[in-house]
Amino acid sequence: MYNSRRLTLYHCWVAFALFLPAVVLGAWQMLMRSPLPPPLQDPNAYYLSVTLHGTVMAYVVTTFFAMGFGYAVTATSLGRPIRGVWAAWIGFAICLIGTVMAAAAVLAGEASVLYTFYPPLLASAWYYSGAFLLIGGSMIWVVLMIVNMAAWKRDYPDKPVPLAMFAITATALLWAWTASGVLVELLRVLLPSAFGWTTLIDVGLARTLFSVTLHGIVYFWLMPAYIAFYTLLPQAAGGRLYSDTMGRLTFIMFLIFSLPVGMHHLFADPEHGVGFKFLQSFLTFFVVLPTLLTVYSICASLEIAGRHRGGRGLLGWIGALPWDEPMVLVAALSLVMLGGGGFGGIINMSYAMNSMIHNTSWVPAHFHLIFGGAVVIMYFAIAYEMWPQITGKLLRSKKLARRQLWLWFWGIMIVTIPWHITGLMGQPRRVAVFDYDDPLVARTGPLVIISVIGGMILLLSAILLIFILVRSHFGERTGEIPLRYALAVNPPAHVPSSLNGFALWNTILLVLMLVAYGYPIGQFALLKPHSVPAYDVTSHSDGGGAR
Amino acid sequence: MARDKGVLRLTNPWPRFAWLAGAAIVGISLALGFLVLDRYQQNDPPLGLWGAICWGLGITADLGPAREAAPTLRTPSRIAWTSSTLGQIRAGDAQHGSFIALNCTACHGEGGMSQSTFIPTLTGMDPAVIFKQLDDYRSGKRPWGVMGAIAKALSIRDSADVAAYYAARPNGLAAIAHEGSLRGESRSKESDSARHLAFMGDEQRGIPPCTACHGPHGYKIGAPPLAGQHAAYIERQLAAFAQRLRQNDINEQMRTIAMQLTPSEMHALAAFYGAPESSRVANK
Repeated sequence: MYNSRRLTLYHCWVAFALFLPAVVLGAWQMLMRSPLPPPLQDPNAYYLSVTLHGTVMAYVVTTFFAMGFGYAVTATSLGRPIRGVWAAWIGFAICLIGTVMAAAAVLAGEASVLYTFYPPLLASAWYYSGAFLLIGGSMIWVVLMIVNMAAWKRDYPDKPVPLAMFAITATALLWAWTASGVLVELLRVLLPSAFGWTTLIDVGLARTLFSVTLHGIVYFWLMPAYIAFYTLLPQAAGGRLYSDTMGRLTFIMFLIFSLPVGMHHLFADPEHGVGFKFLQSFLTFFVVLPTLLTVYSICASLEIAGRHRGGRGLLGWIGALPWDEPMVLVAALSLVMLGGGGFGGIINMSYAMNSMIHNTSWVPAHFHLIFGGAVVIMYFAIAYEMWPQITGKLLRSKKLARRQLWLWFWGIMIVTIPWHITGLMGQPRRVAVFDYDDPLVARTGPLVIISVIGGMILLLSAILLIFILVRSHFGERTGEIPLRYALAVNPPAHVPSSLNGFALWNTILLVLMLVAYGYPIGQFALLKPHSVPAYDVTSHSDGGGAR
Repeated sequence: MARDKGVLRLTNPWPRFAWLAGAAIVGISLALGFLVLDRYQQNDPPLGLWGAICWGLGITADLGPAREAAPTLRTPSRIAWTSSTLGQIRAGDAQHGSFIALNCTACHGEGGMSQSTFIPTLTGMDPAVIFKQLDDYRSGKRPWGVMGAIAKALSIRDSADVAAYYAARPNGLAAIAHEGSLRGESRSKESDSARHLAFMGDEQRGIPPCTACHGPHGYKIGAPPLAGQHAAYIERQLAAFAQRLRQNDINEQMRTIAMQLTPSEMHALAAFYGAPESSRVANK
């Protein structure tokens, strides 16, 4: 691990230390929405809690985890120390300060605007500044990933960049592209209002800029999971990666097709024409390509491993896989959840079908299944895989880890399946209190109670995760297993230069972004400036009101 | 990042394929989104090519000003209580007003003491009230044939003068109002609801007390004194506000309040404020 060990450890601990309280909040929110009596019945506390839960899960946990994982991958896949460790620590400090600022503002009740901000709601400047520092600080990580890959390419001009490094650099580029939306929104729209320099907010512009972030960020969350699928899973299963080229293509396609597509979050918004909504909806469908490529590639890699371990017949290889390895178990569980969430996502991004589920519980159910399920469970598996290297202690124990993973899987299933159904029944999202005496609402009661049970299972699983990580970290059993990456069946001696760097793909992406967002964002400067008074939610505004 | 050789050159197969695929995807989606699919409208005939492109871009008719003529602006009165208006009223000359008032005597009575229950007493009325009503008659904001014709014959200066004359007359509404507020205490139980409305209003219906504007709790400019006015006249005005036959209350306050009153409440309020014949005779 060279010089990345402490860096990765600190990043991971920040991520997981905040993950547990965020799960507690999530479980309480499920209870609050249900017909059961919650410990604290306060709608204001509900929105405060949703804001904190969303901010921590969407920005803090994911960003810190991806950064930590990126540093580990850089050092181990390139087989040499990271360049610019001092800059990495500065980035860590900036992100941490931003996190504390944002969390403090939310806890003080000054920022109950939910993590997607929802202008013209206006929170305290501390919240927006904190978010800006957190996201802006992670750009140091982006630069370090690019610098390290470029330096390695200069030193080894004839070798292909290792797939893991190629993939983490794609992740960093994706994050830089996608975060540009929210960073510009914060700088251009929200912070000027929060500082009181202007009393107006251009909601259309703010929402459009956020849509640049809103879909790409999901793939930024997803990428560490995919990197594990391609580089860690075949190794853990005792086999080889089916195809190195397929892996590179997958990450390139994710980079390209997760960005000019965010407007499928704005189907119901009036500020854009149908042409661009259709264009971005159409482009979104191409995200299916790398996903299916991955499913195919992973199944093929696992079949290679299964047959290598003596599996015979059409499906006999499945039983021969080492299911006691957390990484192998998790890959299967994750793919199940990815399948369900993926098909749900196709409904969300389809221009016409979207209107059936717009603003219903279906939407949070969908992203909890795909992010809280398929992605986060892979974070757990990656943490279990990395823990012995970054702590120097063996994992205690694999059996307990498997139980924790199974609990998380069933928890997510029990939470999200009834949640999807209540959405189809018309239950709105972002609502703190339901009147279950109303016969129309009462129908959803039993399903919501089932979701609450799932939420409690998730809470139990999260506690178990922290218990396992702490016990291993401070345990006695020393030992170090290097992070090993799967070799491809045909290890690439040489790859086309297009698949060994991002110059071509960044250029294509720039053109696509100009086509997809040039007019929709540019129109606000020329045609449609429609600002409205900001609606202040901070306490000095006397309980909310227009400024 | 270290630049790979020829990575952007279209002679190489990967860049060529990537650009072609990207162009094809964008071309197909632009054609579908801007030219084909968005032509079809749910309840209208399909759009033409140019209309479809504009529709796709989100440029619709509602971006520009609406094509139909804007409805004419309706103002309840030409009078606004600006300092120049108040200055005009203050400049009223009662001496000159007394000559003009000779035209009023036939209906409003000697010195403004009306004998007809449908015609208001003007004696002791606030000059701003008379000035505003004359202007509303003149501009047609308060439509009433006879008064409209008379007011048109008066200049703004004349209006101020005649208002000053009636305001200066002794033993008029102002004096009765003073007596009336004392007398209000000893009224019979029948007018309890009217007294409640007059002094307390009705919170549940959003009706403020009459006394908040017409006195004695507060005096809003333009609000006439009520005590001592003819009951039939007050009742008729309340009905006119309720039915929107009279619309010259600047902030629509009287229309809003009167609409909430029942006919029996209007009657009771008019009776509560209206001066009994005896007192008027005595004052005369």
